[in-house]
Amino acid sequence: MDRTKEQQLLQNKVNRRKDLKMEHAEVHIREEKYAITDGNKKWAFGLMIVGLILAAIGYFTYHPHMEGLGEHDLHHLVQKRLLSNLLVNGYFFFIVSICAAAFIAISQIANAGWYIAIRRIPEAMSEYSLVGGPILIIVSLIGLPVLYHWAHDGIMNPEAPNFDAILAGKSWYLNKPFFFIRMIAFMGFWIFAAHMFRQYSRKEDLAGGLENYKKTYALSAAFTVIFGFTFSMFSWDQMMSIDAHWYSTIFSIYNFATGWVSALSIVYLFTHYLRGKGYLNIANDEHQHDLGKFMFAFSVFWTYMWTSQFLLIWYANIPEEVAYYKERLFGSYQFLFYFVVLINFLVPFFFFMRRDWKRSKIAGYFVASLILLGHWLDVYLMVMPGSMNLATNPTEANPGGIIKVPFQGFGLMEIGFLCLFTGLFLFMTLKALTKANLYPTKHPYIMESALHDVGI
Amino acid sequence: MILGVYDNPDKIYAATKKLINSGYSIEDVYSPFAIHGIDRLMGIKRSRLSVAAFLFAMTGLSLAVIFQVYVSKIDWPMIIGGKPNLHIPTYIPITFELSILFTAFGMVASFFIVNRMFWGKNADIIDPRVTDDLFVVAVNIKEHKTDVQALNQILIENGAIEVRERIKED
Repeated sequence: MDRTKEQQLLQNKVNRRKDLKMEHAEVHIREEKYAITDGNKKWAFGLMIVGLILAAIGYFTYHPHMEGLGEHDLHHLVQKRLLSNLLVNGYFFFIVSICAAAFIAISQIANAGWYIAIRRIPEAMSEYSLVGGPILIIVSLIGLPVLYHWAHDGIMNPEAPNFDAILAGKSWYLNKPFFFIRMIAFMGFWIFAAHMFRQYSRKEDLAGGLENYKKTYALSAAFTVIFGFTFSMFSWDQMMSIDAHWYSTIFSIYNFATGWVSALSIVYLFTHYLRGKGYLNIANDEHQHDLGKFMFAFSVFWTYMWTSQFLLIWYANIPEEVAYYKERLFGSYQFLFYFVVLINFLVPFFFFMRRDWKRSKIAGYFVASLILLGHWLDVYLMVMPGSMNLATNPTEANPGGIIKVPFQGFGLMEIGFLCLFTGLFLFMTLKALTKANLYPTKHPYIMESALHDVGI
Repeated sequence: MILGVYDNPDKIYAATKKLINSGYSIEDVYSPFAIHGIDRLMGIKRSRLSVAAFLFAMTGLSLAVIFQVYVSKIDWPMIIGGKPNLHIPTYIPITFELSILFTAFGMVASFFIVNRMFWGKNADIIDPRVTDDLFVVAVNIKEHKTDVQALNQILIENGAIEVRERIKED
């Protein structure tokens, strides 16, 4: 190699290095708060208003027709669809906001440093639980006798015509007072812990020091253990008891994967959005990359759990267990059932396998939105096929006492409530972002996060 | 090769930067642990190990599917639990495990081959102390072309505790 060529190569090397921003650059810790723009308000309130209008139109124009059903039952179906939609959205957005708090707790006890630059985003998301918790409690109060087979009048009374011996055997756990005691106790603790995480973190911005860090650490350790047990029971209560005859032991982990991956996707989207607006000066593609890896890994984890639940039930073929999948796999929900697996597994798996697409804004927006849609549909599929069924008195021909109701279509009510809750969630999160600096400026690991580098 | 020995990662980072900016060709930087950012500084390209991993995984996946389809559909069809012969869900665990097995072994094998690590090969460590607490930057020199005096000057100015020459064995 002659000398000029060698020098040219070296020069290229130097130029390439200059293009890369990551060097041991000086880090400027800025104290800045997010300011809600008019566009944000337009979107959040626009979604809420449009959602409410669409849902109302959907509700008043929904006239179900089914062979062999009386006027009373058909009216019941309208109510069921309304409350089912409220339950789907209430549950989905609530577990997302609680999983955001769990993300803080788990990262805290793992002594993670990389996420500090984006920590205020899950903190802000967890603030939705202040509104989402009460909404879910109200939906459950109204919806319990309508949506849940086990909560119908007389079902556990041996004298009543619709007595169900299997459900009566579960009455020590599945009864209304205990249901609400559990629900309020669990939610109360989670909302309290999420509130304390935010408080400690915001206090730290003013005071500095290690005191708040240590308090968060202790609370995180307690939260993680308690959350593990209580979230399991919460998912049985809210989701699994809709199909009260059916049970699955892996159901709660599967639900956790749903909430966790959705929470990560929202954090990912907010990080891209805020960086695009010129905020979060210490967060960069490295943080985006790590969040993308998390999303990739937990999409695979979700598929693992999904397969574990499906495969065993499918293989064993026990009638009381396959009843759950029969409706979804062979009934009118078949398309949604396959569609959910497609967008929750194949899309993140093949798109986020590439390093540069985890960092890219376009690919990131695409994958994260599809993951969110997919997991919302997943919750929809947990609720709808079970909750829309009508209950009758059990007979010889129909010992379960259930009239199956096929898929009622994906109508204005579904879209409307999704818009309504999305708007509410966006508004609560953006409002929470304005309350404190966009990243914890005095956190002990802030420099580690600012210099975070996943290598080449 | 000229070796500059340092006792501090920040010093070797600064020295490497200075050397690259002055146009020297750096063979490698040896360190007991990862120094963040030095790979970008040296312009090292991304490893293709992940591409290899994907190809190994696809090999494992296709072999697993082919084997199971051959056994349970073509060669010896048997009815088990009333399931059809070509029953895709039952293929999932074996396909999954074989993909992982092929990826793991394939990646280890490619790593050893790429780094020329074989049985009976003597370890060729540039300086035994880089496995403990020192850092070494190795600079390529060309006889009669490289100004060794100036190079030594840069190395020492940036805090080298030792500068020496090593004959490169090819």
